Amino acid sequence: MTSAPLELPEHEALAAEYVLGVLGLAERTAVESRLKREPAFAALVHDWQNRLSDLNDDYAESPAPNLLPQIEARLFPQTVKARRWFGWAAGALTAGAIAVAAFVMLPPPMPPAPTMTAELSAEASPLRYAAAIAGDQLTLTRLAGTDAEAGKDYELWIIEGDKAPVSLGVLTAASVTIPAPKAAAGYILAITLEPKGGGPDGKPTGPVLAAGPLKTI
Amino acid sequence: MDDPIAQLLSRIAAQDRLAFRQIYSSASAKLMGVLLRILGNRAEAEDALQEVFTRVWLRANRYEADKGRGMTWLIALARNHAIDRLRARRETQSGDEAAMNAVIDTAPRAETRLIAAGEVKRINQCFETLEAEKAAALRGAYLTGTSYLDLAAQFNVPLNTMRTWLRRSLLKLKECMEQ
Repeated sequence: MTSAPLELPEHEALAAEYVLGVLGLAERTAVESRLKREPAFAALVHDWQNRLSDLNDDYAESPAPNLLPQIEARLFPQTVKARRWFGWAAGALTAGAIAVAAFVMLPPPMPPAPTMTAELSAEASPLRYAAAIAGDQLTLTRLAGTDAEAGKDYELWIIEGDKAPVSLGVLTAASVTIPAPKAAAGYILAITLEPKGGGPDGKPTGPVLAAGPLKTI
Repeated sequence: MDDPIAQLLSRIAAQDRLAFRQIYSSASAKLMGVLLRILGNRAEAEDALQEVFTRVWLRANRYEADKGRGMTWLIALARNHAIDRLRARRETQSGDEAAMNAVIDTAPRAETRLIAAGEVKRINQCFETLEAEKAAALRGAYLTGTSYLDLAAQFNVPLNTMRTWLRRSLLKLKECMEQ
């Protein structure tokens, strides 16, 4: 018969304490550098993360503001640079620096003109949206209607023929610009009402509030 | 295994920006809850949330689906960042003040208990096997990222006693969960 050990081995105790979150800053830094060097130690930390993960149920959700614009500006600076240039150019023009702007700065690539558009609506719903695909971006603009009721979200879908709808994400604002999906004339864009965060399992569950086919311009 | 967050993470690792937006929609409220509970104020939690999602994009390729669920990975990322911030802040704060915050933070919250009530998780059964005070210290430490130093002040025991308590409780917890 083997008796249970009275203490965790030192390195495992440290892994557990790191996951529990009781270590001081210096100890945490030491653990983090060990994690990179020692796969066996990292595995112990993983085990403890999984072991304690059911405690995560105790964290209540708290609505977060849409911070995606700031996060994406940080991660994908090239799209922001283009926008900044326009802001700067507008300022330069009002300052009367047209000549400098015209000769010193290379003109920015013009935003591509839309190649496909769609109008989304439905009879029983006040929601109306306009969609446009230009280059690699899809812009959706709300023309009429209001935000989803509390605890619900609008979710955008694209449907090819009679295939299953593919989610393009939950609408976080009245107007959104997202990377353009694979699309062709005749594909349907649709907006449904879904539980907060979108349809479970990536499938639409709520009523279609607005829909319309993509048309080539 | 059905794990939509894990699927999004693997798409993000392949630089899929739409998946990144979807994971923000799906997980930001939960991660905000984690950050708010540990950091205790909304402005700092929002700042931390930006940093956490920045790391989600940059580190999604390190997530390994066979080592745990996607949400567990996200919450670990958020907790670690919040605890690092807390330590950086706490170590410039007076001990009394920190202990006071710890006492306030670890009060049990009825509404969050109710969420878990529908499903009796193994870990909760295992917490029942610990002495009430030690179970409370362990749970409070995890949920709020309280340091050994603050826990010792909160429970009015020497630091080494607190360390011994928690290490023994962790061992018991592990043995119980392996049964």
